Formats: sequence, C-alpha cells, structure tokens
Amino acid sequence: MRGLAALTWLEIHSRRRRILALLAFSALYLVAAIAFRALATGEHGQVEPDALFSVGGYALVSTMLLSGWTIGRFPLVIALVLLHGIFSSDVTAGYTRVYASTRVRLLTLYGFRLLLLLALAFLMSAVLLPAFDAIMLGKLSGSGIFVLIAAYLLVFGSLTVFFSVFTRADAWCTIFVFLGALVWHAMLRGGLLADAPVALTQAVTMILPPQGALNAIEDAFGMAAPIPWSAFLYVCAYSALLLVIAGVQLTRREI
Amino acid sequence: MHAQQAMIEFSHAGKKYGRRGRVDALTDISLVIPGGGVCAVVGPNGAGKSTLLGLLLGFLRPTAGSVSISGESPRDYLNTHGIGYLPDRFSLPAGWPVGRGMQALLGLHGIPADEIEATIDRFELRPHVSKTIGGLSRGLLQRTGLAQAFAPGRPLIVLDEPAEGLDPIWRIRLRDMVAAQRDAGNTVVLASHDLSEVERIADTVVILDRGTVREVIAVRSTSDVTYRIRLEEQISALDAVFPGATAVEGGEYIVHVHDLTELNRRVAALIELGGRVTSLRPGGELLEERMRRTADS
Repeated sequence: MRGLAALTWLEIHSRRRRILALLAFSALYLVAAIAFRALATGEHGQVEPDALFSVGGYALVSTMLLSGWTIGRFPLVIALVLLHGIFSSDVTAGYTRVYASTRVRLLTLYGFRLLLLLALAFLMSAVLLPAFDAIMLGKLSGSGIFVLIAAYLLVFGSLTVFFSVFTRADAWCTIFVFLGALVWHAMLRGGLLADAPVALTQAVTMILPPQGALNAIEDAFGMAAPIPWSAFLYVCAYSALLLVIAGVQLTRREI
Repeated sequence: MHAQQAMIEFSHAGKKYGRRGRVDALTDISLVIPGGGVCAVVGPNGAGKSTLLGLLLGFLRPTAGSVSISGESPRDYLNTHGIGYLPDRFSLPAGWPVGRGMQALLGLHGIPADEIEATIDRFELRPHVSKTIGGLSRGLLQRTGLAQAFAPGRPLIVLDEPAEGLDPIWRIRLRDMVAAQRDAGNTVVLASHDLSEVERIADTVVILDRGTVREVIAVRSTSDVTYRIRLEEQISALDAVFPGATAVEGGEYIVHVHDLTELNRRVAALIELGGRVTSLRPGGELLEERMRRTADS
C-alpha cells in the first residue's frame, strides 16, 4: 500500500538521530578493535591477549574483554534504541488517533513499523558484529552469528513492543527484566535456587526472557558448535506469544 | 433529529475515569445524529466534549451503554470506511516533512496521488511541503490537519476545535468547506468553544454540561422565522400581538412569525397599540444566551 511505503521513509527519517548515534557507537567499537589488533596481533592475525597485557596491563585486557561482551549485547542495545516508544510515544502525543482514523488497522500499521525497524536492526547488527569478530579474530565468524542476532532481536524487540502497549516506560521495563533474567539464570547455574520449589523456579524461568536459550545459542556460537535450533525455536515461541498478547492489547485498549 | 436516517447513535452511553471509575466524565448520553448535516457539540471546559468525540470514534470505550456509527461499532466503522478527523491541537511527529506526511496519511486512507496533490494545493500548503511539522506556525499546522481531515472520500468528518489558530480568511474558508461537505451529503460533527462560529455553520447544536446533554437545538429550523425586537418601553400589548415573545438580555424580545408579511402586519399592530420600536433585526435567541441559561439552570 502506498501509504505504508511513504511511512517507511518517514519512520527511518524520524529515527535518523537514533540511527546516527548507533552508527557512531558501532564505529567506536570498530576503531577499538582495530586499535587492539594494531597493538597486539597474534600469529594467526587475531588479537593476542598476552601481547595486549604486556602493552597495557590489566586495564587494556579488561577493556578488550568488556568491549567483546558489550558488542555481543549490541542487538539488545539496538532493539531498545530503535523500538523504545514504538507505540507508547504515539499514544502520548496523540498521533495514534490520527492513524486510527485511516482505513489501515492499527495492528497492520504498528506490525509494519515493527518489521521495518527489526529489519533495520538486523542489518546494522549483521554488519557490525561479524566485522568486529573479523578484526579481533582475524577470520570471519560462522553463520551462527546471524542466528544469535536474530534471537536477541526477537526476544528484546518483542519485549519492548509488549511493554509499549502497556506503559510509557517500555525500554526501562525491558532493561529491568533483562537484568532480572541475567541474575536469575546466574543463580540457576550456580545452584543457588536448588532449595526453591521446582514449580516456582520453572514458572519464573518461563516468564522471564529466555536467557537460558540465548546463552545456549551464544555458547554454541563461541565454541563453533552446531546451532541449537531447539533453543532458537523456544526463543521464537516466547517472542510470538509476547507479540500476540501485545497485538490483542493494541486492538482492545483505549487510545 | 429523527427525520433523517440516523448515522450516529449514543444509547445511554456513559464514561467514568479513574481507577475505580470515580470520575463521571459523561452520564447517560442518548443522542441520535442523522447523516448529512453539521452537528456541533458545545459546552464549557470539562463538559465532556472531547470524551464524547473519543467515544464516538471508538478511541475510548463507554463504561455504560453503547455507541454506533451506521449500525457498526465505531472502530469497525473506522477500519472499513475511514473518517476525516482533526484532533484538538493537531500534530504529527515534528521531524516529518509536510508533503511526505500528507502522502503517508492520505495514502493510508487510500486516496490517489493526484488527489493528494490537489488537496495540498487546495489548502495552499505547496510552499511548505518541504518544511518539517515542527517548523510550522500554529495556523499552518492547523491547515495541515484540516487538509488531511477534509481530503475526499470520507462520509463522516469529526473536527475538534477546527477554527483554533486559523486567521480570519481561513475561518471563512473553513465555514465554506463545512458547508460544502453538508451539500455533498456528508456528516460533520464538530466540537467548538466558538459559539458564533458554531451558530453560522451548524444545523444542530448539542449543549453539554457536566457530562450530560442539556439541550439539543435545531439551529436551522425551517418552520418559522425568528426576529429580535426592541421597544422604547415595555407594553402589555406585546404578548397579544406576538404570542410567545420571550425577553432576552439587552431589552430585546424574541418573536416568531411565518414570513415577512406577518412580521409587518404584527409590527404595525404593535405601533397602533402605542408600542415604539427602536430596533428590529433577524436572529433567534443567541446560542450564547441559551448556553448561559443552561449553565445557570
């Protein structure tokens, strides 16, 4: 439809500052990776931590490790930056009422916006993460990186949308449950919840973002092991459920 | 209001706000708005005008009763037909260029590209198409809102404070556009504080106060003609000559006659009986006076 095509340009145009900030963020990490590589290149063209340590000590090695961890969360960052306020900001500003007066259903309109922004987020992540890995490791990462990116975007994109139809603090809620899931899974892995009722731990694990499945995909990618498709399917099912609830709420709620 | 086919129907509709529904925004609204005319909703601040429009368009859900447009639920009607809608303090994302914004919004209505361009020209927005929404003056922004609301193909147009921010020329044009919609058989529902403007363009006026419909006035009644007459001194014969004459503020009386011949005959009789007419002008009871009376009651 022509209106949706015109909206595509407007969606990207109105988020251009966020996109530029994300590009700047990406460039910073790529520059850091190039600097690490220039300071300490190993035999196979990878960044050598021991050589880095001899140049800059713990501080430099820690910086490199932190960079690696945070760049791994880039899909989460980009999902939050591009999708925050995807619905709630429009309701607050009154734009939703103008959109609702057209013949296009709100579900179609916001579904289109979500797909567009997720595609953009995937594209940016799919360029940055393999490029960072290629500089740091001296070789191209496998196709598992794209599955990992997709999994993160699905989980945190759908979470942000889910919260956006209920509250204006959608990004904060997503960050809060992400941190909650990190802590919860760390406790599970550490055996700290061994004495808790099984039904309770299972229920909380199911409600919180599927950090276990994300960890499984990330671990498989790190070890160059086969992609755990069952974990990816769980991620898809979790995201689909959130989006269905968000869709139902979107059609029922007042605007 | 029942003579023409009902387009919009409020049936004992109510709306409460607040966590436990403590605030009554609207109570027991029963109203039938026929298709093909201009209906204005007026009332003081907090009377419930915007809530009424919100219910009418399905943006808000009634906590009691029901609302329908052409027999459908408001949201179903909107999804099927679309409506022309201008919200109070219309705005779009500040970074949107005007031209692209119009193309997107009117494109969502399924309006062809050439008609979108014609609408931009009609509202004299061509010199501003590359400006962003955030860079428009209040008047230009309102014109952009009116342009997207008045684009062709929608049988129902809902306007919340349409004249706000418009200069006198565009107020006149707005009046003409509303009249053109009426002539085309479309229905216009508008909420406004501007009573003189409402009086000029509306067929029916709904007076809302404290969440209830106080009065529904047929502004353009064709059954008789109304005049305002002022006498130098009040005389008892007035009631005999003009049965049903009512005193209004400023020493004037509202009188009703069938035509000009009857008016002249009765005025002559009044003078014959000693009445001294200082002024005589057409015009019924001003909406402002009706509003004041409603507010005082």
